[in-house]
Amino acid sequence: MQAIGLQTYIWNNNIRSAVLLVGFPILLIGMVFFLTLGMIWAGMLPPGEAYGGDVNEALGLMWGAAPAAIIVAAIWFVIAYFFNETIIDFATGSRQLTREEEPRAYNLLENLCISRGLNMPKLRVIETDEMNAFASGLHDGRFSVTVTRGILASLDDRELEAVLGHELTHIINRDVRTMVIAAIFAGIITLICQIIYRSIMWGGFGGLRGRRGNVGVFILVAMVVGAVGYLLAIVIRMAISRTREYVADAGSVELTKNPDAMISALRKVSGHAHLDAPASMRAMFLEDDDDGIFGLFATHPPVEKRIAALVQFGGGRDLAPTPAPTPPPEPISRPAPGTDDGPWGAHGAQRLAQDDGPAGPWS
Amino acid sequence: MTALLVLLAIIVLAGFLVVGAYNRLVALRQNANEAFADIDVQLKQRQDLVPNLVETVKGYAAHERGTLEEVTQARAVAVGATGVEQRAQAENALTGALGRLMAVAEAYPDLKANQNFLQLQGELADLENKIAAARRFFNNAIAEYNAAIQRFPAVLLAGAFGFQARDFFDVGADRQAMQTAPQVKFS
Repeated sequence: MQAIGLQTYIWNNNIRSAVLLVGFPILLIGMVFFLTLGMIWAGMLPPGEAYGGDVNEALGLMWGAAPAAIIVAAIWFVIAYFFNETIIDFATGSRQLTREEEPRAYNLLENLCISRGLNMPKLRVIETDEMNAFASGLHDGRFSVTVTRGILASLDDRELEAVLGHELTHIINRDVRTMVIAAIFAGIITLICQIIYRSIMWGGFGGLRGRRGNVGVFILVAMVVGAVGYLLAIVIRMAISRTREYVADAGSVELTKNPDAMISALRKVSGHAHLDAPASMRAMFLEDDDDGIFGLFATHPPVEKRIAALVQFGGGRDLAPTPAPTPPPEPISRPAPGTDDGPWGAHGAQRLAQDDGPAGPWS
Repeated sequence: MTALLVLLAIIVLAGFLVVGAYNRLVALRQNANEAFADIDVQLKQRQDLVPNLVETVKGYAAHERGTLEEVTQARAVAVGATGVEQRAQAENALTGALGRLMAVAEAYPDLKANQNFLQLQGELADLENKIAAARRFFNNAIAEYNAAIQRFPAVLLAGAFGFQARDFFDVGADRQAMQTAPQVKFS
């Protein structure tokens, strides 16, 4: 089905994510299947005549191994479920914000939550000038939205609301959970690949069961399966991440009704979003411009594509970004002579705010 | 026997498709309804703001009776309007009347210095922006809904289940007036 508006666009991306997610177990099963088949071909396992052909035997062996894989995945998931947020907060060095400290962001987030009937997630901040934000937590009560100091300082109310709406959509859609599941699958596949390569390195297969099997064939099959599986796992994972970003952008527009703000926030953040973090975390960021090769390994779609989607499906207009917001009103005092603090200082910002975009015909 | 099973499978599949298409249409219609409720909230807030504004202006420019009455009238019409098209018209009239009131206010320096007036002016500008944003979102949702009910296979269901094309919340004839800057003549 072709997207004709914001809602159908969201549905389409959700379907795409689901299809991609189903790709993981299929990939995993496929890898195990071909590995088993490789072992049979190489003569390391008994030939399959007795089981009705090599393929049938490989299938049979594979189902035997399935429960072990499921248990590993389950344990992995439980650990992530309980410690995801703690690990991320620790890794990024964020701290929780209170309403008194940052009333602007806190109130914006609270209003968005009220409009969707959500419990208020924790609001956290990372003290850096880079501009980024992310959502974390896997279940209600543990959700948090983290923003950087840089983003708080340089976005105006509407843009900040759009960014918070984006992160809140990640929470509403339980994207963190989806990405953790994807990370676990990718992790298991990586683990299999590592076992394969270690075994080849140590010549572990040579002495396997003392058979004379043609080890060369198996090594070849194992290397191909390992390499293809490993690459596909990453590509699928990143593709899921990108569909979730499109949905979060669209969801933000649904929450704030303001595609322009999302666009101008993306414009501002673009190029200033660098935060050091592992790929599994960067997937949850507002923006991450590390493309890798041809964008196949990027956690986020390019900003231009995200803006194009907002214009096409969200009815947005790509205007020039608005200037930095006016700082909280201080008692008007005459500026001391010689305190020229440049256009981005407190006074400069007030001056800029006077021609603050299309503020209605009579403001 | 096999033929019967295949037939059954086709019927079940068709049933799923119909239910899916129907549910999507309902969701899109609900989406549009919610979007209109959002515009409604903002419009209501503007209507509540108008009497205050009129009173404030009256304190300084009581003899601009024509403009003030026009605003009060337009507000009364807007409050009483029902249906998307009628409301759009009434609210556009109110927007125009408020614009003229603000233009008149320019001639009264005392009024322009009044804190209360400045605050109301700020609130009004903010509301106008929010109304514009909400209206755009609504029109977008309507466009999507209207397109969805005209597509195959939903078009087969839309008529039978009473999904009809909806009106946009149009700025209408006043769009021209709002987009051209007012002429200033010195004579």
